[in-house]
Amino acid sequence: MHWPDLSMGGYGFYVWGAYLFSLVAIVWELVSLKQRKKTLAQRQSSQQSMKPVATPVLRGSVNETTS
Amino acid sequence: MLCTWYFVLGISTLIQRTKYQALSTNKMNLYKYASPAMFYPLAGKMIPWFAIPAALLFATGLFVGFFIAPTDFQQGDAYRIIFIHVPAAWMGMLLYVLMAIYAGIGWAFNARLSSMMASSLAVTGAMFTAISLVTGAFWGKPTWGIWWVWDARMTSTLILMFLYIGFISLQAAIEDPRRADRAGAVLALVGVINIPIIYFSVQWWQTLHQGATIRILQKPTIRGSMLAALLIMLAACWLYSVAVVLIRLRCIILEREQNAARFAEVGV
Repeated sequence: MHWPDLSMGGYGFYVWGAYLFSLVAIVWELVSLKQRKKTLAQRQSSQQSMKPVATPVLRGSVNETTS
Repeated sequence: MLCTWYFVLGISTLIQRTKYQALSTNKMNLYKYASPAMFYPLAGKMIPWFAIPAALLFATGLFVGFFIAPTDFQQGDAYRIIFIHVPAAWMGMLLYVLMAIYAGIGWAFNARLSSMMASSLAVTGAMFTAISLVTGAFWGKPTWGIWWVWDARMTSTLILMFLYIGFISLQAAIEDPRRADRAGAVLALVGVINIPIIYFSVQWWQTLHQGATIRILQKPTIRGSMLAALLIMLAACWLYSVAVVLIRLRCIILEREQNAARFAEVGV
C-alpha cells in the first residue's frame, strides 16, 4: 500500500478532472431521480386530497402483463 | 368391477386436476412479476441489495486503484483514469444491448414492464457513455497529446451516445407511451448494430485507441492489482446501474399507471 501523490505525477488535472466529472454525473443522476420521486409524491398527494375516496395508484392488482 | 372403474376414473381425474393446478400455480409464479403492479413492490425490496454493495465496491475499487495499484512505467499516474473509463465504456455498451433486448421484448409481446425497463435503462446507459467519452478525453490529452480524434472507437462510441439521446428524445416526444415504446424499440434494435462495431473497431481498423487489454479467453496483460481495481469498479458500476434502473423503473411505473388510471376514469 502506498499513499498516492495528489499531483498524480503532474497528471493531477486529468486524473481528478475525470473522476470529478464522473462524480458530478452520478450525483446528477441520483439528484434528478430524487426530484422525480418527490414530484410524483406531490402529485399523488394532491390527487388524493382532491378526492374523498382514495383511488388506486396502480392499474389493477392482478396479473396484467400487457396493455 | 364398476366400482373399481369409478375409483380409477376418480383417481385419474384427481391427479389431472392436481397437475393442472400445479401447472397454473407455476405459471402464476413465473409470470407474476411481469406485471408492473406486482413488480413495483419487489423492485423496492431489491434496491438496497444492489445500492449498498455498489457503494462499498466503489470505495474498495478506488482504494485498490489509488492506494495499492502501482504507477504505470509508461503512462505514469494518468493511467488511473482507466479505473472509471473502462467500466463506464463497458456499461455503456452492455446497457444498450439490454435496452434493445427489453425494448424488443416489449414491442414483440406487448409487455409493458419490458418497455418501461428499456426506458429506465436508457438514461443510465447514456450517463455511462458520457462518462466514458469525457474520461477518455481526459486520458487522451496527456497520453496522445490531443483531447479528441475521429478515431473508429471514439467515433462509434459517440454514435452510441447519439443513439441513447435519440431513444430518450423520441420517447419524450411521443405522448402516448405505447406508441413511444414501439418507436423507441425500432431505434434501439436498429442501433444495436453499433455495439459490435465499437467492440471490434480496434481490430478492424487502424486506430489510435489501444486494443483490448482484457479478453475472456486470454491472460490479461496488466498487473493483478490493476486488474482487481478494474474488475471491482466494473462490479460497482453494474450494481449501481441495477439499483438506479430499479428506482427509475418504479417512478416510470407510477407515472404511467397513474396516467392509465386517470384515463380509465374519464373513459379515454
